[in-house]
Amino acid sequence: MDLANFSNLQLDAMREVGNIGAGNAATALSIMLARPVDMDVPKAELVSIYELAEYYGDPLTMVSAVFVRSEGEFTCSLIFIQEEDESRKLVDLLIGQQMGGMDPASVPEEMRDSALTEVGNIILSSFLNAINVLIGGTHSISVPGVAHDMLGSILDVVASIFGQSGEHALIVDTSLKVENVEGRVSGKVVMLPDPGSLEILLGKLQVL
Amino acid sequence: MDKAHHVGMAEMVVVSAPESLVTLGLGSCIGLVLYDQAAKVAGMVHIMLPDSRGAGGKALEKPGKFADTAVPALIAEVCRKGAVRSRLKAKIAGGSQMFALPGAQTDFLAVGSRNAKETEEMLKKHGIPLSAADTGGNKGRTVEFSTKTWMLTVKVLGKGTAEI
Repeated sequence: MDLANFSNLQLDAMREVGNIGAGNAATALSIMLARPVDMDVPKAELVSIYELAEYYGDPLTMVSAVFVRSEGEFTCSLIFIQEEDESRKLVDLLIGQQMGGMDPASVPEEMRDSALTEVGNIILSSFLNAINVLIGGTHSISVPGVAHDMLGSILDVVASIFGQSGEHALIVDTSLKVENVEGRVSGKVVMLPDPGSLEILLGKLQVL
Repeated sequence: MDKAHHVGMAEMVVVSAPESLVTLGLGSCIGLVLYDQAAKVAGMVHIMLPDSRGAGGKALEKPGKFADTAVPALIAEVCRKGAVRSRLKAKIAGGSQMFALPGAQTDFLAVGSRNAKETEEMLKKHGIPLSAADTGGNKGRTVEFSTKTWMLTVKVLGKGTAEI
């Protein structure tokens, strides 16, 4: 479907999809960390692919990103993205909670990366599960991929998903915030529906 | 300081010495530079995708977006600014695969290597020698081309800086 003709009603529907997915993701993260997790009001926006590199700020910002693909009736890509120091804080919290008071500083980098990939995987899988319950579909989720790199380079992936079929990217995102004694740790869940599968999703939501 | 021109996604910028050209955070995209040292002219294009087929008339509006349309468009643009086609040389960087998901149907994640391959093939087709290339891998790159040294500086997070 041509994103240039996307209506406000359809954007509202995508925002609601983001809300339901992120709610489930926040719950999963909260259980994993045994801490309250807050979420922002989800956004659903059409962004010019030529402006994507600056969409989340300075393209040179160092970020961590966990990426999964969902295949099924509704196909999409999901990214859990955090500034690098936020992601280090999240992994510290996870190791502290799940590994019996182990000092996070003593954990080797490979294991930290593995923990980050897994927490990202659980967040994104929870997001997808809620959407598929909503639309009554079945899906399979890929193994997660992880990258630590410049924000602009990560967003190239988004440009390549939407670039072949048009000039706009449909970005559905929500910030999750973990309440912690030392302050908040935040991360962003970003859903990128395949342009070709939007009709299926919007049809099921009766806003096609 | 001499002005550094930023080349955004699908953009094409041509400068004269001593100005420079910069692209920040290339992932799967390609930064292609064409330059003529004698005429002191250089152009950079920020290529997003390999192939304009299936994009309809859109490729005409933004020729820089696709490798197959970006190469001839940049040749025309640098020649219009005084470069001589037979003296043109090329340098490229970019074309990474940021994520690898074993077993998943993710052709689009491998778009970086197709971008690099198509750009090189188009240069060959147009008879322009490739004097340096730094493509592939799984890390992003920030590139800057100097019209004083005619070198392309490639910065990779955690790996440092190389001049090609």
